[in-house]
Amino acid sequence: MGKINKSSMRVVQYMRLAFKNLRRRMVRTALTVSGVALAVAVAVSLGGFMLGYRGAIDKSIEMLGFQVMIMAKGCPYEAATMMLKGGTGLLYLPSETFDKVKNDPDIASITPVFVGIAEKEGSGVRDEGSEKTFSIISGIDASSFTVMKPWLKFKQGPGYDGGHWFSTTANKEVVLGFEAAEYEQRKVGDTFYVSITPHGTTHPVQHALTVVGVLERTGTQDDGTVFMPIDAARTYFNRQNQVTILGIKLKEFSAFKMHEFEARWLKLPEVQVVGLQQVKNTLVGLVATAQTMIAAVAVIAVIVALIGVINTILMSVYERTGEIGIMKAIGASRSDIFELIWLETLMICVFGALLGSAAAVLGTGLVEHAIKSLADLGVSGSIVKITPAVIGYAVIGAMILGFLGGLYPAWRAASMRPVEAIREGAA
Amino acid sequence: MNTETDNEYLIEAHGLKRSYKRGSEIVKALDGVDLVIRRGEMISILGPSGSGKTTLINLLSCLDTPTEGTLVVAWKSVAGLSEENLVDVRRGVFGFVFQQFHLLPTLTVTENVELPLMFLGRKAYPEKTREVLAMVALTDRANHLPRELSGGQMQRVALARALIVEPQILVADEPTGNLDKTNGEAIFALFRRLAAEKGLTIIITTHNMAFGYQADRVITLEDGRIVKEERPRRDLL
Repeated sequence: MGKINKSSMRVVQYMRLAFKNLRRRMVRTALTVSGVALAVAVAVSLGGFMLGYRGAIDKSIEMLGFQVMIMAKGCPYEAATMMLKGGTGLLYLPSETFDKVKNDPDIASITPVFVGIAEKEGSGVRDEGSEKTFSIISGIDASSFTVMKPWLKFKQGPGYDGGHWFSTTANKEVVLGFEAAEYEQRKVGDTFYVSITPHGTTHPVQHALTVVGVLERTGTQDDGTVFMPIDAARTYFNRQNQVTILGIKLKEFSAFKMHEFEARWLKLPEVQVVGLQQVKNTLVGLVATAQTMIAAVAVIAVIVALIGVINTILMSVYERTGEIGIMKAIGASRSDIFELIWLETLMICVFGALLGSAAAVLGTGLVEHAIKSLADLGVSGSIVKITPAVIGYAVIGAMILGFLGGLYPAWRAASMRPVEAIREGAA
Repeated sequence: MNTETDNEYLIEAHGLKRSYKRGSEIVKALDGVDLVIRRGEMISILGPSGSGKTTLINLLSCLDTPTEGTLVVAWKSVAGLSEENLVDVRRGVFGFVFQQFHLLPTLTVTENVELPLMFLGRKAYPEKTREVLAMVALTDRANHLPRELSGGQMQRVALARALIVEPQILVADEPTGNLDKTNGEAIFALFRRLAAEKGLTIIITTHNMAFGYQADRVITLEDGRIVKEERPRRDLL
């Protein structure tokens, strides 16, 4: 027990001495710590991005409510991102496909979705100048759609109470996603204006629709969507008997069942069957390349920071040659000096890691904004998620680097012979 | 078994040689020195620059090892020992004072004084530190940083740092080299007091004859050899 106390007291004394040594050259130490902090901030942000992006994809796919999509032949990635995030260039299937597929024995539930893009009109709330803005219109069958997405809830509170889904036959009613309602500042009972260009024509037709419900936030593409009955949507877009996708939940979702299901329905000439696991892998794979590049930058930043740390500590060792000689003369052993210098390196790296982690946490929003403005990642919601584990790995990584970086300067200092060190220090 | 008496030899050196390589040339810094130092003795090493004073004191204090010869310090043969083993010999046996003071600038007077204890794994007792600081008349400067002290005060801090470990031998290499006459005299007065009151063995190198002749024994070196050994008469000082 006494030995442990003595040893911990010694460590505290050494740390205090190391800290005081670092304070001697405040600017130099601060710059070195900043270098480490910058490298750690990049690494933490990257780790947070990798984690957050996978999480965002998982959430977006999970919140689609279905495991398999049947859609018109085309680029499956484009189709999938359109479903996840919205987009243009939609392709349509004949609605008989729905009649053919719906009785498949492996299907637990199925819902048809018709997606169209409409121009926003006359909200009177925002002045967008000459820029046109668009709304994603989702024509759905409310009864089967809500089976797929049981978590969809109507917003409550003044102006929102009494929200409900439209009936199948209604043709002037819409339910707004959370953000769509917020953006347009619409509540239950308000009128929502859209301009839709019917298929085969060039002139948009304006429609005044009644908001019958506003959904609570889900953190998915549904927040920005305007829902209306599927038949009404088809009529407005002049695409009777067409659907955009069929969302399907299988009774048993396994690779084997998925393969069987896919083989069965790929026989239809007009369709492609897309498993959402496949979509997820495609999206992750596409972003992995960019992540590898950022990781390379992070590694370079870490190496540069490490060189900076070694340089700083080496300079400090050379400047203190005389002192090191004296310390050895008055009783410090090789290991004492090694420990002292090594601790200084470690402290720089740990301070830098903590500072960098804090910067990364505080700058999450900024990083997220920057990534989103640079690339369309196909998901909505937060894509940078910095967890305690990410920070923990960064701090441990910095400590390992500090340990390695401190070896050479500490060895140099520990190897000094007292006589020569004192003589050099006095020169 | 050794017994500690006033005439006990604390350091015994025979045929001490130390040479260095300077380029292709071999420089003989010390060329066969025989010397015995007793417990409680105050000894000065005089000589011109390059005579081998610092080399000799470095060897006697186990900061360096001889090229040839035998050296026994505190009953341990130290010739040929590695630096790691020399540290063990130095620990607690020697206290050091150097011309350049070499105080750690970020540590207070108290922290500088207590520094050797950290390396020796000993606990610092405030009353002991105060006692040592009182010995060098620096109690009122305990919490000052070295930059707030005069040269004389800094040398006294260095002396307190040497004394805190209660060494058997105090080694002072040109301790007054950076001090004015008054501060130099004060330091030497302290040395004399320590030798008289504590029975401390003190080895000093100096250029200053007046200071040097205040020791019990004066050794003069020239070209790495002892050329004169004197015992100054105190009544003539």
